[in-house]
Amino acid sequence: MSDEIQQIRNIGISAHIDSGKTTLTERILFYAQKIHAIHDVKGKDGVGATMDHMELERERGITITSASTYVEWKGHHLNVIDTPGHVDFTIEVERALRVLDGAVLVLCSVAGVQSQSITVDRQMRRYNVPRIAFINKCDRTGANPERVTQALRDKLNHNAVLLQLPIGLEVHHEGVIDLIEMKALYFRGENGEQVEEGPIPAELQDAAEAARANMIDAASMFSDELLEAALEETATPEMIRAAIRKGVLALELTPVLVGSAYKNKGVQPLLDAVNAFLPSPTEVPIEAIDLDKDDAPVTLHSDPEGHTVAYAFKLEDGRYGQLTFVRVYEGTLTKGDTVYRASTGKKIKIGRLVRIHANSMEDITSASAGDIAGLFGVDCHSGETFNGEGPRLAMTSMHVPDPVISLSVNPVDSKAQANMSKALQRFTKEDPTFRVRLDPESGETIISGMGELHLDVYVERMKREYSAEVETGAPQVAYREAISRRGDFSYVHKKQTGGSGQYAKVEGYIEPLEEGGYEFVNKVKGGNIPTEYISACDKGFQVAMEKGRMIGFPVVGVRAVLEDGNSHAVDSSDMAFMVATRSAFREAYQRARPRILEPVMKVEVEGPAEFQGAIYRTLMQRRGNVLGSTEDGGFARVEAEVPLSEMFGYSTTLRSETQGKAEFTMEFSKYGPAPTEVAEELRKEYSGQVAEEDD
Amino acid sequence: MPQFRLNLRRSPRKLLERDGHPGPGPGRLALIMARAGIGKTAFLVDVGLDAMLAGQKVLHISLGGTVDKIRTWYDDILVELLRSQKQLEHRASVQEAIEPLRHIHTYDYPFNADRLRDGLRLLKNTLDFEPQVLLLDDVNAEKLDAAMAASLKAVAAEAGFEMWMACQTHRKDPARPGHLPHPADQFEDQIDLAFQLVAEDEKVRLHLLKDHDRILDEELHILLDPETHLVTVGTLVGD
Repeated sequence: MSDEIQQIRNIGISAHIDSGKTTLTERILFYAQKIHAIHDVKGKDGVGATMDHMELERERGITITSASTYVEWKGHHLNVIDTPGHVDFTIEVERALRVLDGAVLVLCSVAGVQSQSITVDRQMRRYNVPRIAFINKCDRTGANPERVTQALRDKLNHNAVLLQLPIGLEVHHEGVIDLIEMKALYFRGENGEQVEEGPIPAELQDAAEAARANMIDAASMFSDELLEAALEETATPEMIRAAIRKGVLALELTPVLVGSAYKNKGVQPLLDAVNAFLPSPTEVPIEAIDLDKDDAPVTLHSDPEGHTVAYAFKLEDGRYGQLTFVRVYEGTLTKGDTVYRASTGKKIKIGRLVRIHANSMEDITSASAGDIAGLFGVDCHSGETFNGEGPRLAMTSMHVPDPVISLSVNPVDSKAQANMSKALQRFTKEDPTFRVRLDPESGETIISGMGELHLDVYVERMKREYSAEVETGAPQVAYREAISRRGDFSYVHKKQTGGSGQYAKVEGYIEPLEEGGYEFVNKVKGGNIPTEYISACDKGFQVAMEKGRMIGFPVVGVRAVLEDGNSHAVDSSDMAFMVATRSAFREAYQRARPRILEPVMKVEVEGPAEFQGAIYRTLMQRRGNVLGSTEDGGFARVEAEVPLSEMFGYSTTLRSETQGKAEFTMEFSKYGPAPTEVAEELRKEYSGQVAEEDD
Repeated sequence: MPQFRLNLRRSPRKLLERDGHPGPGPGRLALIMARAGIGKTAFLVDVGLDAMLAGQKVLHISLGGTVDKIRTWYDDILVELLRSQKQLEHRASVQEAIEPLRHIHTYDYPFNADRLRDGLRLLKNTLDFEPQVLLLDDVNAEKLDAAMAASLKAVAAEAGFEMWMACQTHRKDPARPGHLPHPADQFEDQIDLAFQLVAEDEKVRLHLLKDHDRILDEELHILLDPETHLVTVGTLVGD
């Protein structure tokens, strides 16, 4: 292995589900001689792709968790993270992007830029990840890499430029033309392992020359040397590569490569492009925050001799205990060293340090700046930063969305109870969007997450990996309550039962706060409510908002304005004012025309255009508001907002209405008012529950 | 029905109210022309918002953008309108009220009257959505000729919606005297209203180039907002 940091490439492979990224990763491992045989994703040979290392993933043919591995390719050290393609698991994608320096965006040459490609691309943009695109599946019927390249420009605003042209498409796909070297590349041997160079086929010569001119035009924007050379027709491959690299690092150019991973075509040149165009860790600006200096930003340097800063971006449970995936940003992690957790300052000794392959590992003695490695025997949550002796630095925290769906899980026996606890502890450490709480009223364990599939996967993992048999309740949507107009209050809390009494009077109003959340405004004049009780008033409102009076869910979007009041020299206290504002809120709440809000999901459904009507109907039947639709190359994509409560079982409906040819993704969009009939139903249900509890 | 509406003092459709209809009226065609980057999409979105705030259904077709991009235009312009009236706190309620009145559809080429007819049929039959105003953005001037304009206008007449089309003009194609700029000169008869956005001294002015039978070049003395390119001015009022 080369220790030169300039030779390291930390790359992710991201794409829409089913674009073939797991197959591509499999080929990368094969050509880099990390594995010695190729297996299909859906496991026709009963083995399954190497990167889909979880049993569940093998069965479903999808990649759920990021598996990290490293390969050597022509003197470069590539850390490859295979990322999931389903929106329900985007936290995995986001974590991977946080630690990566570059990425390969895999697109299907038939389906083109799909909804998940757009989501993934947005995430990459957020983390300033330079990317190259690989248009896969050129062997499929309907393959059209030029259209996909144009879609990269139109839909994702990429300055996309083809570096290759396919030699033949669909069943005639034979190889690729390298426009930098102006050579044809063919992939011979049983598994395409022998790359054979040849002259460009005569019938493609004109197209190749035109495409090369376009490529040089685009690249010369980043190099005066190339611009001049192009005018004099003396541009060399080195000049072109240097200019393209500059454009990619500036996030202003996206080189596009083509091929078919499944047919073993175009993968080796893609690896060459990773080496040539994606950045080394030293070329990416890295910023941390200094926890002891009010989160002041600190620029890190990829210096193996510097202050050690390493970021835990993923945890996995293995047979040797917790495996923590870390990215070292500065300094070096060495076996036997002591590091400190940034969040708690707790000391940790590095017992075992490994380099990770998909389902095997190799022990190493150190990992330096820029590298990705695994630690054993470290107790931490994902997102933790480890420091050497010295300043307490943390990598900037990641954006973590709130969960929108909950499910009760009940173990079937005491053995399952113990196993379930272990599993839940592990999952919450691994995944910040997965939460667990105990419902104080029912005594049930409630798990929450980003969608039905997200929770389904964890329930199945509980059973398979932890032998925790559980029964699940019906999925519960995280409703909210809100007010729709101003409601005044004037409330006196007075209690005299012998001894010192309680007295507090509060006057004011509550009104809707459109941006959500809560705001407290103190307009009390002349000390009618002494200053020391004001924070108790604020607290009283907040306590009242924790559980709304309509269906018992939290109240959001309230501005509480305290205008006046009164106190008593002896009987007033923090408690009295807290009780007064809590009761005042309840009084005003009824006047403020409260309403129920439900989580609304942004749903994108994609399928052949002939099913557009069927897709519309499935969304309308679920109270969907269709926002728009796109027709592109025989495919239709429909975008809609649909209440989460209506989305249960949608995949089954969609499958049956579209002969299994359409697929959908969804993510949380906003909270919207529940229609009267739904609100009424929820209120009835809640009244029933309250009455039962009172009995 | 909208819970709120903007009482518009000025909007592209109000500028040329004819026969009691704001804008060109059902079955008629208005064309907005400008060079690249002058504000055609903002102008169309302005028209769309005006119609939606009046309770009309709008189909916004883009031949180049994405649904998300166009939604963002609507969101941004609504925010500007509300901010200018210090009514930003009503944004969510206004959006909630008007969004169901809009459908955005993006097509790849070839786009033609038959595809439009199919799309309208699908919207009517499955979503019960029949637009009263149709906005057609990003029309490729190279592909727009008399036959296409006539066939699109025929669809507008059949379905009874008014149609606003945005089309790019080029410096290399100056207008012949007494005619509209290219490509509109090829189908002048089909156009009921034609506007041009003209950038002058870092300002954008709105010109009226055709008003039903008359070809003219009337500067409407309307400067578009330099930040937003908006024509619309209005006040939010409760229903």
